[in-house]
Amino acid sequence: MNLADLFIMAVVYNRMLSPAITEQIRSYFNFFAPGLAVTGLFASAFMIGREINMERRNEVHHYMLSLPMTRFELAFGRVLSGGLRGMMYMAPLLLTCFIFIGFPSAVQLLVILVVLFALALGISGLSVAIAVSTSSLEKFITARGLVYYTLFFCSSVFYPLSLIQQLGIEGKFPAVLVNFAEVNPLSSASDMIRSFRFGIPPFSFNMIVNVLVFSSAFTLCAIFAYIKLMERQ
Amino acid sequence: MKKLLWVIERDIRLFFQYKFLLIMRAIWFVSQIVLFGLIASRMINVPDYFRYYIAGLSVMTLYSASMFIGFDIYEEAEHGVFEYLLSLPVTRRQLVLGRSIGGGLRAFIYVGPLIAVSLYIIGAVTIKSSDRFDILMGVLDALIVRLSTAMYPLGFVQEANPLYGWIANFNPVTFAAELFRWGTGVEALISLNNPLLPLLGVIAFLSFFTFVGVILYDKRIEGGGWR
Repeated sequence: MNLADLFIMAVVYNRMLSPAITEQIRSYFNFFAPGLAVTGLFASAFMIGREINMERRNEVHHYMLSLPMTRFELAFGRVLSGGLRGMMYMAPLLLTCFIFIGFPSAVQLLVILVVLFALALGISGLSVAIAVSTSSLEKFITARGLVYYTLFFCSSVFYPLSLIQQLGIEGKFPAVLVNFAEVNPLSSASDMIRSFRFGIPPFSFNMIVNVLVFSSAFTLCAIFAYIKLMERQ
Repeated sequence: MKKLLWVIERDIRLFFQYKFLLIMRAIWFVSQIVLFGLIASRMINVPDYFRYYIAGLSVMTLYSASMFIGFDIYEEAEHGVFEYLLSLPVTRRQLVLGRSIGGGLRAFIYVGPLIAVSLYIIGAVTIKSSDRFDILMGVLDALIVRLSTAMYPLGFVQEANPLYGWIANFNPVTFAAELFRWGTGVEALISLNNPLLPLLGVIAFLSFFTFVGVILYDKRIEGGGWR
């Protein structure tokens, strides 16, 4: 699915870009490749929530709580494993991306990996928090759908942030969604890779801060929710 | 005829039990319109791309809803419901034909309100399933939808890659999308000038795959061939 987006959709969109956007991003294929790695990371890191939701419904969590480890170790371990799985799935996508757009320097690569891991942790945390807060699969899937599509489409993964901001200025897009897109960690992670490789958009420390704030908030939130809700009868 | 209708009714009822899948698809549809469609149309150098995209979106949703029947059949094979179905007082042909018609009909019922939303915007109306099956459906969905004119005009697909263009030319999703655009008045960008061609394409696709589906299903269900 991810690769079909890159090798079919992005290749065709490359030919359809308006001159103003072409001037700004040069190639849609190159623009979209970092976004693709981030969406792959998001989808795979989010999967841990489905498993935890299933465990909760099948009451496997009683077994988990009986294991010889502290609640914190169990909860943090789940969030961490979700993040690591996301990184493992994303690795070939990121490599494909770099093969086409070129490899960053060693320092940039290190920063990219650290930031993406932080993002994966935050996504995993968000997913765990939703999973333990929803009692049925239907509710979990609905919440997941809302989070997925809002974070995906209201970000700079598929299109430059300037387009969303322009729509906001013209009053065709709610200001709240424009602000959301600006602080969306998926926007920040994708734009950070683009800024390292193409210099557009210019690098800003806010990109890293956005991801770290998101990651810290949802990791803590997930640990707290997991411990509290799993112990509830 | 009555027995055929029972089979169709059963499949329609079954479809609306997948509440979570329906909710997901509906959220996807709405977010594609209000987020992706709106923003991407500003990026694309194609006049009236927003309306063009929404028309294609309706066909994409119709396509994915129609594919749900595959999940049902796979589930039944996995959970031993086939034996029960074969023991029913309906002929094999009625069962197979009823399932084919039911699969298409329920997709129309589901997509109906979504198409109404599309038509309004266009202005024309001023699982649990096997992982392998999930992967297969995902791959099919990704390739069939992306290698069609659901998202972009045929000229651009051909320009991007002649092979993609060639596949898109014969893709049933292309035929349906072109026909839908012609019918809803988004005609400026349709690639096939004569609406009869996509109509014939859809009819040929429908006839061929219904025939193949009926034959395969008929052959596979006898003697535990699905196991």
